[in-house]
Amino acid sequence: MELHPFFTAQRVLIVAGKGGVGKSTVAASLAHLSARSGLQTLLVTLDEPANGLPHHELLEQITVSPGRALADYLATKGLGLISRQLARSGIMELVATTAPGLDDLLVLGRIKAFENERPNGVIIVDGPAAGHALDLVRAPVQLKRAIGSGPISQQADEVLTMLGDPARCKVMLVTTAAITPVTETCEAAEELMEKAHIALAPIVVNKCNPEVPRVDEAILLPSTREAYKYLSLRAEAQSEAIGVLTDSLEQSQLHLTQHHSDGTILINAISDDLEQAIRDLP
Amino acid sequence: MSTQPVLDMCLSSRVIVTCGTGGVGKTSVAAALGFEIAQQGKRAIVITIDPARRLADAIGLGEGTGNEIQRVPLDTTGELWVTMLDVQETFDSLVRDTSPTPERAKEVMDNSFYHSLSRSLSGTRDYMAAERIYDLCEDERFDVIIVDTPPSRNALDFLESPERLARFLKHPIVKFMVAPSRGGFRLVNAAMQPVLKAISTVVGGDTLTGTAAFLRAFDGMEEEFSRRALVVAATLRSASSSFVIVTAPSRDALTEADHFVAELSRLGISLKLIVANRMPPHFGSLTATEEHSMAQSQSGDLARVHELIAGLHDDADRADSDIQAFIQRTSVAFPSVSTAFASELATDIHDMDSIGALAQQLAAPPTQQ
Repeated sequence: MELHPFFTAQRVLIVAGKGGVGKSTVAASLAHLSARSGLQTLLVTLDEPANGLPHHELLEQITVSPGRALADYLATKGLGLISRQLARSGIMELVATTAPGLDDLLVLGRIKAFENERPNGVIIVDGPAAGHALDLVRAPVQLKRAIGSGPISQQADEVLTMLGDPARCKVMLVTTAAITPVTETCEAAEELMEKAHIALAPIVVNKCNPEVPRVDEAILLPSTREAYKYLSLRAEAQSEAIGVLTDSLEQSQLHLTQHHSDGTILINAISDDLEQAIRDLP
Repeated sequence: MSTQPVLDMCLSSRVIVTCGTGGVGKTSVAAALGFEIAQQGKRAIVITIDPARRLADAIGLGEGTGNEIQRVPLDTTGELWVTMLDVQETFDSLVRDTSPTPERAKEVMDNSFYHSLSRSLSGTRDYMAAERIYDLCEDERFDVIIVDTPPSRNALDFLESPERLARFLKHPIVKFMVAPSRGGFRLVNAAMQPVLKAISTVVGGDTLTGTAAFLRAFDGMEEEFSRRALVVAATLRSASSSFVIVTAPSRDALTEADHFVAELSRLGISLKLIVANRMPPHFGSLTATEEHSMAQSQSGDLARVHELIAGLHDDADRADSDIQAFIQRTSVAFPSVSTAFASELATDIHDMDSIGALAQQLAAPPTQQ
């Protein structure tokens, strides 16, 4: 598959995955690759900007903080001035507690606004850490249930329309090739599709170890033999995990290799891997 | 420094708290520490939040077990118990314990705001974690309580939850909503009226009325809540509590580990142990350079195998030096911190035997590493 149809298959791509799988690096690399291929690209990160994002004239980065989004929203509702007199944080806590998920909804609202402002741009979202992506996308439904009408409810409807339209929004799940993260990814995929009605992009299998050729152990030195056994066992566990993923989810997979660098060097390396993997897609 | 830091910690602590980012094997390490304590003839309980399914199965925590306490069948004189944190269940029993009458408890639990509070607010989860630790500390069935914190940057927030709750309940707006209110919001003081009005345009009037009703029903109960939370905070800061940072040797895991070190310093809590988990193993006596040159003297598959083995050596060497650098950095803030090592297994941890093997590695004297 060519890069442009891959990146323009939806307007907003939310990258999600549990801690330790390299979600943020994959999101930054996707954004970098998209810009490198000639598409105007926006990388949205939550709370903290991406570490080591290479400079590119078509690549822009914006950080959205849920707390900040809520404060800004309250200011537009006339609470800005009053809350300064009454210690802003207390009001924020009261509102956040009264309407849980409001900050998440406002973050999605921001993303929807970016989508409107950039009719020709690619938007990549580095989703929330530690598997809170489900909470994020469930927020609009929960809020609608709690608050029947009004501006929040309308905002929730608009966000739900965006999330439910595969031409506008998809979630890209990132996993590593071990059975525990793969099992969790399959569960998350099922919940996203069935409960939140969100379409999935291809699954990223990050940090793959290289394949190990079969050789006769007898010709190896004893010290090398142990290492070879370990490599074979690890490769076997990896292909077993990938097998489970293939059997459980029909989405195609993008396999990326394990790298030991960090910062810009790592993002460049993963961008190269991603480019190859995307071109290899049917 | 002790020659058996893990053993010493297991035998001298009332509470052990493990923290670390996702993917470093934190829950496995918590279970392995519990296993070690059981081996030593004592009774340990591991409390975990949202464990990975396979690990949950391995230690006997199925789906929907909630706050239920379960014993792991082990062939030891000591005992290993496991439990999860069910926020709703903990909150319910806390409300039942602290409310002056059963009617008041029902009034609180029937409130819709109570449900959104206990289900969706992360601050509530922190608070209930503290409450659960309080309960377990009071429970004479256990010698050591091992707290496996969630794999999040904010994992240590629960240490500050009592202060946060108190601050929230003392906020003028909240006090005002709780205040004698026979006339509802109509007889309110002029300064508050516009604030409440503005809030109600955001969240809806019904929601706000529900919140006010909850806060009134809850009034008075928060003192006992706060007292318990302060007891927990004091226990966690005492010498009988040990904090452990679990990390893997990858760059991103170490960055997060640095963050936890800084958090503990900020909170004035001392770090007892670093667990360097998932260390790539060393094999044989050949060096990476020797393997690389063997690869060059071979061809085809055999050359590839030597190349891959050289890569394993490289991984192990890099991991060693990255971990040593982390230990150096950390011992600036915590000079008496110890380290335990465990190597990366070719397959995931998925049963009690592999947890036992992990415990054995952790408890090994440092010279064997």
